[in-house]
Amino acid sequence: MPDWKQIVRERLDGLKLDGAREIEIVDELAQHLEDRYDALRAAGIAESQAHNQILEELTGNGKLAEELRKIRRPPAIEPMGVPKQRGGLMSGFVSDLKIAFRNMHTKLSFSLMVVGMLTLGVGGNAAIFSIFNGLFLRPMPFADAEQLIDLDETAPKWNLKYVGVSNPDFFAWRKSNSTFDGMAVFAFGSLNLSDRGTAQRVLGGNVTYDLLPVLGLKPVIGRNFTSDEDKPGGAKVAMLGYDLWHRLYQGDRGVLGRVLQLDNESYTVIGVLPREAVLPDRVDVWTPLAADPDPKKSNGWYLSGVGRLKHGVSMEQASADLTRIHKAMIGEGQKVNEITSPVLTPLRERYLGDYRSVSRILLGGVAVVLLIACVNIAALMMVRGSSRAREIAIRTAIGASRSRIIRQLLTENLALALAGGILGVGLGSLCLRAMVALVPEGTLPSWIAFSMDARFAIFCVAITGAAALISGLLPAFQASRIDTRGSLQDSGVRSTLTRGRRLTLGSLVVCEIGLALMLSVGAGLLVQAFRKVLSVDPGYRPENVILFRVNLPDTTYKKPEQCIAFFENLVERMRAVPGVKSAAATSAPPMGGHWGNFWEAEGAKPLGPNDKNPVVLQVVATPGYFDALGMTFLAGRPFNDQESDAKFIHTAVVNETFAKYYWKNESAIGKRVRYQGSTGIWIQVVGVTRDEKHYGLDQEMKPSIFLPLHGLSRNSMAIVLRTTIEPQMLVAPARQILRQMDADLPMYDVRTMTERLSRSLWARRSYSWLFGAFAIVAVVLASAGIYGVISYAVSQRTQEIGIRMALGAQPGQVLRQTLAGGMLLVTIGVVIGFLGALGAVRLLQTLLFGVSPRDPLIFTAVIIGVAAVGLLANFVPARRAASIDPMRALHFE
Amino acid sequence: MATQPLDRELKKGSAELLILSLVESRPRHGYEISKLIEERSQGTLRFQVASLYPLLYRLEARGWIQGRWVEKTGQRRRRFYRLTPAGRKVLALQRRGWQQFAEAIRRITGIEYA
Repeated sequence: MPDWKQIVRERLDGLKLDGAREIEIVDELAQHLEDRYDALRAAGIAESQAHNQILEELTGNGKLAEELRKIRRPPAIEPMGVPKQRGGLMSGFVSDLKIAFRNMHTKLSFSLMVVGMLTLGVGGNAAIFSIFNGLFLRPMPFADAEQLIDLDETAPKWNLKYVGVSNPDFFAWRKSNSTFDGMAVFAFGSLNLSDRGTAQRVLGGNVTYDLLPVLGLKPVIGRNFTSDEDKPGGAKVAMLGYDLWHRLYQGDRGVLGRVLQLDNESYTVIGVLPREAVLPDRVDVWTPLAADPDPKKSNGWYLSGVGRLKHGVSMEQASADLTRIHKAMIGEGQKVNEITSPVLTPLRERYLGDYRSVSRILLGGVAVVLLIACVNIAALMMVRGSSRAREIAIRTAIGASRSRIIRQLLTENLALALAGGILGVGLGSLCLRAMVALVPEGTLPSWIAFSMDARFAIFCVAITGAAALISGLLPAFQASRIDTRGSLQDSGVRSTLTRGRRLTLGSLVVCEIGLALMLSVGAGLLVQAFRKVLSVDPGYRPENVILFRVNLPDTTYKKPEQCIAFFENLVERMRAVPGVKSAAATSAPPMGGHWGNFWEAEGAKPLGPNDKNPVVLQVVATPGYFDALGMTFLAGRPFNDQESDAKFIHTAVVNETFAKYYWKNESAIGKRVRYQGSTGIWIQVVGVTRDEKHYGLDQEMKPSIFLPLHGLSRNSMAIVLRTTIEPQMLVAPARQILRQMDADLPMYDVRTMTERLSRSLWARRSYSWLFGAFAIVAVVLASAGIYGVISYAVSQRTQEIGIRMALGAQPGQVLRQTLAGGMLLVTIGVVIGFLGALGAVRLLQTLLFGVSPRDPLIFTAVIIGVAAVGLLANFVPARRAASIDPMRALHFE
Repeated sequence: MATQPLDRELKKGSAELLILSLVESRPRHGYEISKLIEERSQGTLRFQVASLYPLLYRLEARGWIQGRWVEKTGQRRRRFYRLTPAGRKVLALQRRGWQQFAEAIRRITGIEYA
C-alpha cells in the first residue's frame, strides 16, 4: 500500500502550517485516502489505477492547497486551568466552575456516584438535625423561656422521682421565696363542655391566676383571672384556648361574657388565651384553680408548677431557697415534708429530657455515615486524580500554578457537593416527613414543630461545605504534587502506585471499615435491645382487646352508687353484644395512668425513718377485668362483687411485685392489708397475678393492688372488651349502647391494646431501626469504597501482574495475593473499629434495656458480617486480577 | 452511473447544508460523510478530499461543527465531527431557506417531485 502520509505531507509542504496542525491534517487526510484506496480495490480496480485516481482526487487541480491556505482553525485544546484574562478572583472561580461542570459531565457515572453518596449523607443529617433542632434548639414560645423552671417534688423513699406539688407547699413557696419573679401551678383533666346544645370532651386546665404573667403572655381578647377569682368560692369564670375559640366560635370577639357548661356547671368566658399558651399542653379551656391555702386542707400532690427565675439567680440558689422553705414547714405540722423535697428542672428539659441523649446519639450516628461517605469520596477522587495525572501535568506544563490546580480541584468538589447538598436536603425533608408521621399524636408537646428554619439552612450549608472540604482537600493536594515530566512521558497508565498514595488510600479504606463497624455494633445492640423489649411478657394478652374511656360528670352522677351502677350496667350490656367475649371496667388499664397510695401489711414492723415506703399502684376494676385483659393468676382467684359493698371492701388482688415486697417468699393468699395509717378494716388478698407491665414493656414495675369497683366508686373508667371478631368493629355498637344510656357522654381514647403497646414503644422502635438503617448504609458505602480502591489497584497493576504471570505465577497465587492485600486493610479496619466500638458503646448504655454493651454475640456477628462484606468487595477485583491474560496485559505498552 | 455536472455555485451553497445535516444525528468522520453523500444521492453528488476537508475545517472555524479525535480499541483513531449548538441553529436556518428556494423553483418551472 502506498505511504499516504508521505504523499499528503508532500502536497502540504508549501503551506507552512504549524507543526501540530500539520500532523493532524496529515493524519486525517491519509486516513481518508487509505479508506478510499481500500474501497476502490474492493471494487476491482487495479492497484496503479486506484493510486492515480486518488492522487487526482487529493489535489483536485491544486484546490486543496488553495482552500487550506484560507482557513485558520482554532486550537484544539484550550489551556484549561489558566484564566484567559487577569480578572478578579470571581472570574477565576467562574472559569473553574465551568471546567468543573464540564468534567462532571464527561465523567457522568463517577459524578453521579459521588453526588449519590453525598445525597445519602447530607439527607440523613438534614433529617436528624431537624428533629434535634425542633426538640432542643428552637426556642419555646415564651419570652425569656430559659428563665422558666419546672417545679415539682421528689420522694426517693416512695420510689417516686416526681410526686407533683401539693397546694400547701405551693402557697408556702410562692409566699416566702426570694429567688423567683413569679411562680404558678396548674392541674388538668378532661371535662365535658356543652354550649348551644352540643357536648364535647375537652381538656381543661385549672390554673392559678398568675400562670399567664409567669409565662410572659397576655390574653388575645378580654382579661386574665383576678386573684379573687382564684380563691375557694370565687366566681366561675373561664378563658378559652385559641384553637377552641376558632373551632367553636370562629374567632368571634362577642364570645366574651358568654356562659358555657363545663361538666354541667356554668362558667362565664372572660378572655381568650394566645396561641402560645401551651402550658398545660393541648388544653382548650382554663378555669381558676381556686385551691385552699390552708395547710390543713391538702388535696395531695396533684399540681404541676412553673416558676420564672429572677435574672442572675442560679438553679442551685433557687433550689436551696425552696428547700429551706419546704423543710421549715415540718415544724409547722407538715411532717410529710421530711420525705418530699422540691425538685427544679429547666422547663424544656422536663418535657424533652428523655429524648436528648437519644437524639444526640442519632445525630452522632448519622454524622458517622456522612463521614464515611466523605472518606469514600476522597478515596474515589484520589483514584480518579491518578488517572487525571496527565491532564493535570499538561495544565502545569502550560503554566498553571499548584495553588491554581488545588483551587480547580476543590471547585470541582464544591460543585459536586452542591449538587449532593441540594438533593440531600430534598431527601432529608422527605425522610423528616416520614419520621414525623411515625410519631404518635400526643406523645410530644404540641409546641414542638419540625419545620425547616434558618438554623437548619445554616446547618445544611455547613455540612455540605465540610463534606466538600473533607472529601476534596487530600486528593487535591495529592494531585497537585504530580510529577509533570513523568506523567507526560508515560503512556498515561502507570504501572504501579506510588508508596505514599497507596498508604493514603489504604488508610482511607481502614477508616471507613472502622467507622462502619462501630456503627453496626451500635445498631446491633439497639436492635437487640428492642427485640428483648418486644419479647418481654406483658403479663396479659394484648391481641383482640379494645378499650375506650367514659367519664361521668359529678354534677349529674353525684352519688358513688350512681357511678358504680352505671359502669356495672354498661359492662353488662357490652357483654351481650355479639363478638364480645368478655367485658370489664378499670380505672387504669396498662399504660393508662397511675393512681398511687401507701399500703401496709398486717403484722408488719412499723416503718423506721430510713425504710423505703414504695408507692403502690392502685387499680379499681370489675371482677371480669383479669379475664378480659388476659392476665394470669399465679395463685388464688379474682375478687367478686358479693365480697364488697359500697361501704367496705373485703377482698383484693395484688401483683407479683406486691406479694414479693410484703411477704417475700410466703404465700400472699389470705394475708391482709390496709391503707397505711388507716384504722379501717383489713382487706384480704384472694389472688396474686403475674405483673401486668403497667408503665410499658421497658419500664420497671411497681407493686400494685386491684380493688373492686363494687366497693370503691370512680367516675372515670376505661371499658375493656375482649373480642372474638376484629376489635374495631365493636366501636360503633359500643357507642350506640353508651348513647342509649346517656346521650351526653362522649366516648374517648378509643384504642386497641396492641395499638397502645405499639405507641408506648414508638421512640425505641424508631431510634433502633433508624440506627440500623444508618449502619446498613455505612456498610454499603464502606464496601463500595473497598471495591473501588482494590479494583483501581488491580487495574493499575495489570502490567505487573501480566509480567508475573508470564514468568509463571499461577492465577490462584495472584488471587491469593490480591485478596491478602485487601483483607489486610479489612482486618486493620475491623480491629480499629472493634476497639473504637468497645469505648463508644458506653454512650448507648442507658438505652440497652439490660443487653450488655459488650454483648459478645453482637460483636462477633457484626465483625463476621463486616469482614464477610469486605471479603466479597475484595473478591471481585481479585478474581479479575487472577484472570488477567499476560499477552493482552503486556500489549498495553 | 455518470456524475452529472452541477452548477458550481449551487453545489457550494448546498454543500454546507449537506454536511451539517449529516452530522446532525450523530458525530461522523470525514470519509463516512463523503461516502454518505455519494450513496444517498445515488452518485449524483460526490465530494472529494480536496473539497471536503477544507470545507469541514471552515465549518469548524466558524464554530458550527467540532472535530474530536476518537480512539476505539481495535480501530485506528479517527476525527469525528459533531454539530455544535450554533451549527444547529444555522442548519435550521439553511433548511428553511432551501425549502423556500426549492418551492420557488417548483412554482416557476412546474417541476413536480415524484
